[in-house]
Amino acid sequence: RAKKLPQVPESILKRRKLRAEQKAKVTQNRVKLANKAKEKKQKIFKRAEKYVAEHRQRVRQQLSLRREASKTGNFYVPDEPKLAFVIRIRGINQMHPKPRKVLQLFRLRQINNGAFIKLNKATLQMLRIVDPYVAWGYPSLKSVHDLIYKRGYAKVNGQRIPLTNNDIVETELGKEDIICMEDLVHEIFTVGGNFKKANNFLWPFKLSNPNGGWSKKLNHFVEGGDFGNREGKINALLAKMI
Amino acid sequence: MFCDGIVICPSGNMAARPLVTVYSDKNEATQTQIKLPAVFRAPIRPDVVSFIHDQVSKNKRQPYAVSTEAGHQTSAESWGTGRAVARIPRVRGGGTHRSGQGAFGNMCRGGRMFAPTKTFRRWHRRVNVAQKRYAVCSAIAASGVPALVQARGHVVDKVAEIPFVVSDKIESFRKTKEAVSFLRRSNLWDDIEKVYNSKKIRAGVGKSRNRRFKQKLGPVIVYGKDSGVIRAFRNIPGVSLLHVERLNLLKLAPGGHLGRLIVWTESAFNKLDAIFGTYKSASELKKGFTLPRPKMTNPDFGRAIRSEEIVKAVRRAPRAALKTSKVHRNPLKKTKLMVRLNPYASVLKRAAILSQRKAQNVDHPNEKLILAANAKANVARKAKYAKKTGKK
Repeated sequence: RAKKLPQVPESILKRRKLRAEQKAKVTQNRVKLANKAKEKKQKIFKRAEKYVAEHRQRVRQQLSLRREASKTGNFYVPDEPKLAFVIRIRGINQMHPKPRKVLQLFRLRQINNGAFIKLNKATLQMLRIVDPYVAWGYPSLKSVHDLIYKRGYAKVNGQRIPLTNNDIVETELGKEDIICMEDLVHEIFTVGGNFKKANNFLWPFKLSNPNGGWSKKLNHFVEGGDFGNREGKINALLAKMI
Repeated sequence: MFCDGIVICPSGNMAARPLVTVYSDKNEATQTQIKLPAVFRAPIRPDVVSFIHDQVSKNKRQPYAVSTEAGHQTSAESWGTGRAVARIPRVRGGGTHRSGQGAFGNMCRGGRMFAPTKTFRRWHRRVNVAQKRYAVCSAIAASGVPALVQARGHVVDKVAEIPFVVSDKIESFRKTKEAVSFLRRSNLWDDIEKVYNSKKIRAGVGKSRNRRFKQKLGPVIVYGKDSGVIRAFRNIPGVSLLHVERLNLLKLAPGGHLGRLIVWTESAFNKLDAIFGTYKSASELKKGFTLPRPKMTNPDFGRAIRSEEIVKAVRRAPRAALKTSKVHRNPLKKTKLMVRLNPYASVLKRAAILSQRKAQNVDHPNEKLILAANAKANVARKAKYAKKTGKK
C-alpha cells in the first residue's frame, strides 16, 4: 500500500497565497513611492534654488535702486516692512487687561514666546498697545530661516509636532502649494497670499533668554532698554535667543 | 473575562448535539444512545451562577440576634458634671461592686453592644424565577464540560464519558453495598476517596456548634424516580442526590463554582429535554420558559474577524499616521537633517566651503589624491567611449 503524502491544510495554503500577493503589492508600492519621493526631492531642490536666486535678485534690486537714487541726488524710499517678529518680554502676572487680550490674540501667552505678524494698520495699532510687553522688529531671511529650522514646530491636530520632515508641511499646507520647509520660509518671509495659513500652521516659537542678557526690559529700546520696535536690530537679538 | 456561551465542542457549532451512551451499572456501554439534551448547550455564565448562588444560599439562614433587653436591665443615670468622673450613666444604689459602674454604653462593661443585632434583619433574598432557571441551565451545561468538572476538583480521568449517564438499574438499589460497587466499577470511587481524604476539623467556632467536620463534595446522582437510590447512596460521604425535576443550584454549583460531577440515570437524562425545552421548543414543565440564548453564537471572536469572509468584506485599516521622529534635532547643526529637509542645502554648503577655501587660498586636504583619481576616471571613461564607438 502506497504511503499517503502529508497534506497541507487548505487554510495554510490560502494564507500563503494571500501573503505572496500582499508581498508583491507591497514591493510594487514601495517602488512607486520611491519614485514619487525622488520626483518630489527634485521639485523641492528646484524651488529652493529659485528662492535663493529670487532673494539675491531682491537684495540687489534694492541696492541698485538706492544707488540710482543717490546718484541723481534723489531719495529712495523702500517699502514699508510687511513682516514683523514679535517676542513677548514680560511675564504673566499683573497684566493690564487690554494688552493681555492683545497678546493672547498674537498667540504670545508665555514669556519669550515669539510669533510672526503681518504688518498692517490693524496689527500696528495692536502692537502699539502691547509695546511695553514685547520686543519686535523686522526679521531678516536668515532669522526666519533659522527660526523655522531650529525652533519650528507645527500645529497638527491641535498638537505641537516638531518639523522633522517635509511631509508634515505637505499634508497640512499642500493645498497652498507649500510642500517643504523652504516653501514655508519663503511664504513667511515674503508674506505671500497664504501667509495666514502658513503662519497659523506654525506653533508660536518658544525662544531662550538672550545669551548675554537683556539690557533693560522696563525701558523702550530707544531709551536703552528692550521693549518696543527695534526694527532691524531684532535680528541681533534673535541670534542670541534662537 | 468569560464570554457568553463558552463553546468547547470541537465542531465549533453551538447547536451540535452529539449522542451520549448510556452505561450499565457495571460500567459497560449499552446499545442505548441518547441525543444530548439542549440544556447542555446553554450559555455557561459563571457570573450569573455566582450571583444567584450567593442570593439563594441566604434563604436557608436562621436569624440570630442579641436579646432586646441586653445591657438595659439597669436603671443607671449619669451623675452629670462636677463629680470628677466621666459623664457615662452609672448604676444607682450602693452596697455592691456594681453600684456606680458605667452602664448602657457600648464601651461599658456589661453595657449594650453598638447597634444590637435584630431578628428583623433581611435574611432572605428573593430571586427572579427566570434568573434561577438560567443559573441552573448554566450549571448543567458546565457539568457537561470535562475540563470544567476537573477544574472544580473532581477526579474524572477514568470516567467513561461526561455527561455520565447510567441505566435506571441504580434507581432501584437498596443496599449501600450495591451503590459502592457501582461507584467503584464506574471509576467514580476516586472522587469519593478524595472526599474521605479531605475530612478535616473545621477551623473556627463552628466546630463547637455541631459543625465539627468539613469535607469536599463528590458526585451528584440525579435520578428520575426514587426506588431506593436515596437510601442506597445517602450514607456515602460526598454524594448528593437530586430528583431531576427539582434540581438545586446549591448542589449543582456548590460555592457558586461551576462543574460538579453529575451522574445521570437514563430516565432523568431523558426528561431533561421536557423539563428545560430545546432551542426549537419551549419547556413542557416550566411554564413559559425557553432555554437562554447566548449573546454570540460563535464566541471565537478572533477566529471570526480573521476569517476569509470577514477580511474580504472589510475595508482596510486607514494608513498609519506620518512616522515622525519624536525628538527634535537641530538641522542647522546636523547636515544630514538639513539636507533631508532642503536638498539644495548641500549645494549652498558646498559653495560656502569652496568660497572660504578660495578666500583663504587653501586647498582640499586630499587635493592631490582627488586630482589623480579624477584623471584616472577620465582616462577610463574615454577608453570606454572609444571602445563603444570603435566597435560600432
